[in-house]
Amino acid sequence: MVTLSETPVAAVRRRPRRHQGNWLNRILLGLLLTVCTIWLVVPFAMAVIWSLVDPQTGWTYPDVLPPSLSFARWVEVWTTTALPQALRNSYLLAPTVAVITLILAMPTAYCFARYDFPGKSVAQVLTLLPLVVPGFVLAIFFSSLIFNLGIYSRFLSILLAHCVLFLPYAIRIMTVAFENVQDDLIDAARDLGASPWARIRVAYMPALAPGILASLIIVFIQSIEEFAIAFIVGAPNFVTIPSILYSYLGYNFVRPNAAVVSLVLVVPNVLLMLGLERLLKSANPAQAGVKG
Amino acid sequence: MNWQRSGTIVLLLMPGLGLILVMIGSVFYVAVMQSFGFFNLVGEDQFSLEHWRDVLDSRAFSRAFQYSAYIATVSAIGSVILAYPIAIWLRRPFRGSLTVSAVLKAPLFVPGLVAAFLFLNIVAYHGVLNQLMMWLGVIDEPIRMQNDRNAYGVIFLQIWKNMPFALLLLSGAVQAISDEVLDAARDLGAGPFDRFRKVIAPLTVSAMQAALIIIFIGAAGDFAFQVTAGPTNVQSMAQFMVFLKDSFGRWNQAAVVGVCLMGLALGGSLLLAIASRFLLRGGRW
Repeated sequence: MVTLSETPVAAVRRRPRRHQGNWLNRILLGLLLTVCTIWLVVPFAMAVIWSLVDPQTGWTYPDVLPPSLSFARWVEVWTTTALPQALRNSYLLAPTVAVITLILAMPTAYCFARYDFPGKSVAQVLTLLPLVVPGFVLAIFFSSLIFNLGIYSRFLSILLAHCVLFLPYAIRIMTVAFENVQDDLIDAARDLGASPWARIRVAYMPALAPGILASLIIVFIQSIEEFAIAFIVGAPNFVTIPSILYSYLGYNFVRPNAAVVSLVLVVPNVLLMLGLERLLKSANPAQAGVKG
Repeated sequence: MNWQRSGTIVLLLMPGLGLILVMIGSVFYVAVMQSFGFFNLVGEDQFSLEHWRDVLDSRAFSRAFQYSAYIATVSAIGSVILAYPIAIWLRRPFRGSLTVSAVLKAPLFVPGLVAAFLFLNIVAYHGVLNQLMMWLGVIDEPIRMQNDRNAYGVIFLQIWKNMPFALLLLSGAVQAISDEVLDAARDLGAGPFDRFRKVIAPLTVSAMQAALIIIFIGAAGDFAFQVTAGPTNVQSMAQFMVFLKDSFGRWNQAAVVGVCLMGLALGGSLLLAIASRFLLRGGRW
């Protein structure tokens, strides 16, 4: 990476070496892409193929590919298992968690970004606590806590636990977003007689919007994928997509069904992540516009 | 600082930080109290060291503790060792470097259970690897690789999932080292190994410690990889804890394991972080 402090002399001096490095890079690149194919492409391709294996004909050695493909497994998993229920639960839980976590994170993030106070760095480290407690310890003793408190709604219990678990992400993202809000824009808006609401709209929102979306998407994905709490607190009645997947992976490994559920879990999240990346890339020009 | 300002700060911190402290604090409190015989779901609350004695005396516990400590240490060190050279290689952008880094980081976004499933597909008795080796004529009949006794499968999965995280942290730190510093070291006659040991390692030690700590804690508390791909003759700490809770509702004993797991996660990760700092700074602090 060319840094601002780099002198032209240093840049010139490096040139002959780059030529020599090119070959090495090409070989390393080729090697790495091969490894990555084995690393990512083959496993996912296998998952897709296994989900499409026709139950009538099966897929056994020495067939390199299944003799026939069909959507029978998809139909079977959809009609005979709790997957539709799990999808409803997961996709109701995750957006609710995302919105509530954001609302809970906002005041703390605002405080971290715009106030200086003694012990601030300690407070910031303490917000990371949910990330350093092992997930199953949190899940088991949280379930013990809610039994003791007499809370029996699985949905509300998982909702609360997920909000706390993912608050560190939302607080961190929103702290950065609040730090990007320009003081002179707020002052200018106030000087021009803008109402508090108008000030939020013109001075805060343009800087906050990418952070808000990023926080919503990250918490949403984390909540959909979370297993420990959903499994321990939700058992046995409240199923989510990961707990269904777990039931096919444990002692009775049902490969085609696990393939279907894996894809149902992963594909929407990959699409969301790609969306998030585009969003983060476009965030900088938006910021520049605000600063202008 | 006046009272009004302090009050505002406390009020602002309440819904976020306050909620975290109350929740994590109560979970910790419940676990510790339950391990000493309180917070029982059935029966009388009574202080007792019996649960600690029962658990600490059992062979299953000491095996689980050692096993989890081993998996966590190997996974954390393995991920960092793999990530370092890649981070250094990707320090300066070149054609294709963005693609490489995106592909390498992809496992970060694959949920643990899905990763376990993909892995089982590859190493299963009728998996790709066995079929490929039979087709190539390397073996005559499939080898049993799933749930191997040495937990290579679990370690592979941990590194597959965590190496990208170490790479993310180390890339940031390695890219922050300016070219002048490295060029100066080169001009003074430092070879690649010396440049790593004397310049890059000391300057990136904090990022490396953060990676070690987070990966160690995650791997020490692992349940999903262990249950799906781990050896069947030993349990991980999380698995043992869930087993105790589910078999005859031995909550108090599960709490002892939970408290020990927290101790292992915290103590082990800090120990690893301190040792690595000592090592990378050439025996100095």
